[in-house]
Amino acid sequence: MLELTNLHARVVPEDGPAREIIKGLSLAVPAGEVHAIMGPNGSGKSTLSYVLTGKHGYEVTGGTAIFDGADLLGLAPELRAAKGLFLSFQYPMEIAGVPVMTFVRAAMNSQRKTRGEAEVSAPEFLKLSKIAAAKLRIDPEMLKRPLNVGFSGGEKKRLEIYQMLMLEPRFMILDETDSGLDIDALKVVAEGVNALRGPGRGMLVITHYQRLLDYIKPDRVHILSAGRIVKSGGPDLALELEKSGYDQFLKGG
Amino acid sequence: MQLADLPSRRSEPWKWSDLRAAMAGQETTLIGTGPIGGDGPIAAFAELMGDAYGPCALVVEAPGETFESRMTEGDAGQYGSVVVRAGATAVMIERIDVSGSSLRPMLPSFSRIEVEPGATLHRMVLQVNDVAAGVADAAIVLNEVVVVLGAGSTFRQFVLGEGAKLARIEVSVDAGESAQIELNGVYLAGSKRHIDFTSRLVHGAAGVKTQQLVRGVARKGGRGVFQGKFLVERAGQKADADMQHNALLLEEGAEIFAKPELEIYADDVACAHGNTSGQLDEEAIFYLRQRGIPHAEAQAMITRAFLIEALPEWMDETLRGEIETRIDRWLGTPA
Repeated sequence: MLELTNLHARVVPEDGPAREIIKGLSLAVPAGEVHAIMGPNGSGKSTLSYVLTGKHGYEVTGGTAIFDGADLLGLAPELRAAKGLFLSFQYPMEIAGVPVMTFVRAAMNSQRKTRGEAEVSAPEFLKLSKIAAAKLRIDPEMLKRPLNVGFSGGEKKRLEIYQMLMLEPRFMILDETDSGLDIDALKVVAEGVNALRGPGRGMLVITHYQRLLDYIKPDRVHILSAGRIVKSGGPDLALELEKSGYDQFLKGG
Repeated sequence: MQLADLPSRRSEPWKWSDLRAAMAGQETTLIGTGPIGGDGPIAAFAELMGDAYGPCALVVEAPGETFESRMTEGDAGQYGSVVVRAGATAVMIERIDVSGSSLRPMLPSFSRIEVEPGATLHRMVLQVNDVAAGVADAAIVLNEVVVVLGAGSTFRQFVLGEGAKLARIEVSVDAGESAQIELNGVYLAGSKRHIDFTSRLVHGAAGVKTQQLVRGVARKGGRGVFQGKFLVERAGQKADADMQHNALLLEEGAEIFAKPELEIYADDVACAHGNTSGQLDEEAIFYLRQRGIPHAEAQAMITRAFLIEALPEWMDETLRGEIETRIDRWLGTPA
C-alpha cells in the first residue's frame, strides 16, 4: 500500500543551511497492516511524517514513495489527504476562530469534492460526529469551540483521533500520539484507532516508547536511526527495545 | 480651498495618508476657504465644510431608534450633528459606497455626536467598494467624527473599511465619567486601495472603560493604516483601556502602517495595548491542507476567522451577515 524506496530528504529552514535527515530509508506497509517506527530523538521520525504528507520546508532529494501504486511525492498536501493519507500531529495546531465541527466538515467536503463525491449533508455529518465523539468520550460542547484553542495536550490528541474517525482515511500516520495522554485517555484513543484497522487500511505508528504498542498492536516494528531503518522485526522487537534500550541497535548506524 | 491647504504627508497625523497628493489634479472639487491645520484637522474640516453643505441636526429622544444614512459617489457630502438624549438608545448606520462612477471623487462627511448621560449609541460605518480588485478608483473618502460622551453613557462603534484611492475613517472621542466605549473595526486593503483608521480617545474623567480591537488585511499594492491614541488625563483615574490592532500582510508588497499610542497622566489606571503585523501562519495552513482543504481555501479560512473576531457581539444579525458576506467576497471564497 505504501512503499518507500531509498528515500532521501532534507529539511530546508527559512534561515540556515539545509540538513539531510532521511538518508536512504526503505519501508513497505502492505494494506491491512500496522507498522510501528521507533527511534531515539533526532532519528528522523517526525521528518518522515512531514515528508510523506508534503509539508513545506521538507525536500525529497532521492528515492521514491509510492502510495496505492502511484507516486506520492509530486502531489500537493491536500491531494495526498484526499487520497486518504492522514497525519495525527505530534503538536496539533490551534486554529483560532474556526470551530472544530465547521473545520472537519469543510475538510470532509473538500476531500469529497477532490474525489468527485457528493458533499456530506448536515444531518449525516451530525450523526457521524455524534458517534465519533461518543466513541472517544468527547464532550459535544468541545466540538463547537475553536479548534484546539485552549485545549489540553490530551484533548488535542483526542481531537486528532476524532478527525481521523470522521475523515476515515485509508492510511494513517500517528506521530507520538501517546505523548500528553494519561493511561485512561490512551486506552480510549487506542480503541478509536483500532476501530479503523481493516483489510483496506494501513497505519504507521511513530513512537518513542513501547507503551502505545500495548494498545495498538503492530504487525511489524522498525527501528529508525540516523535517517534509516536499522532493524525490523515482529512485535517482540518493541519489547526488546523497552528492556535493553536503543543503543544495541545503533552501533554503526 | 487650495490644494496646498490640505494636509500632506509632512503633517504627522497624515504622514501615511497624503490627502494632498491624492487630491492632486482634482482641485475642481475642492470647496471652502482657508488652510486646514495639520494637528487638529477634524474640527477645521467641519467648519469649512459645514457652511458649504448646511448642517443637519438629528435629535434622538426615544429609546430604540435606528437611523441610517447613505452616501455614494456623486453625493456632495454630509455635515451634521447627532444628539442622543439622556436615557435614550440609538443605532446609527453610515453607509459609504464608492462603487459607482467617479463624478465627484471626494466624499467628505463630518459629524458631531453627543451621547448624553446614561444614553447609548451604537454606530456602524460601512465603507464599501465594489470596484474590481486591482482597478484604481478615484474616490477619496473622509469620514470625520467628534464624539462627546456624557457620564455613564455607552458608545460602541464598528467600522468596516474597504478603502478607496484614499479613505480615512476618523473618530475623536471625549469620554465623560464612567463612560463605556468600544471602537472595533475591520479593514480590507485590496490592491490599489488605501484605508486609514484613525482614532483618538480622551479619558478626561474617572472610571472610563474602553476596548478597541481592530483587525486588518492587506494585499499587494494595498495600504492599511491604523493610528490609535488613548490619552488618559490626570482626572482619568481608574481608566480601564485596552487597544489591540492586528494585521495580516497577505502578499509581498502589501503595506501596513500602525501607530498605537498611550499617553497617561493618571496614576491609577489599567491600560494595555498590542500591535502586530505579520503573515499567515504557514504551520496552520499546512494543518488545514493535511486535512484536505486546498491552499487558497485554507488561507481564506484562517484569514476570515482572524477578521471575524473583531465583529462585536452587539451587532445585529442581519448586518453581521452582510459584513461576513463582504469579507468572504473580498477573500474570494464562495458564500
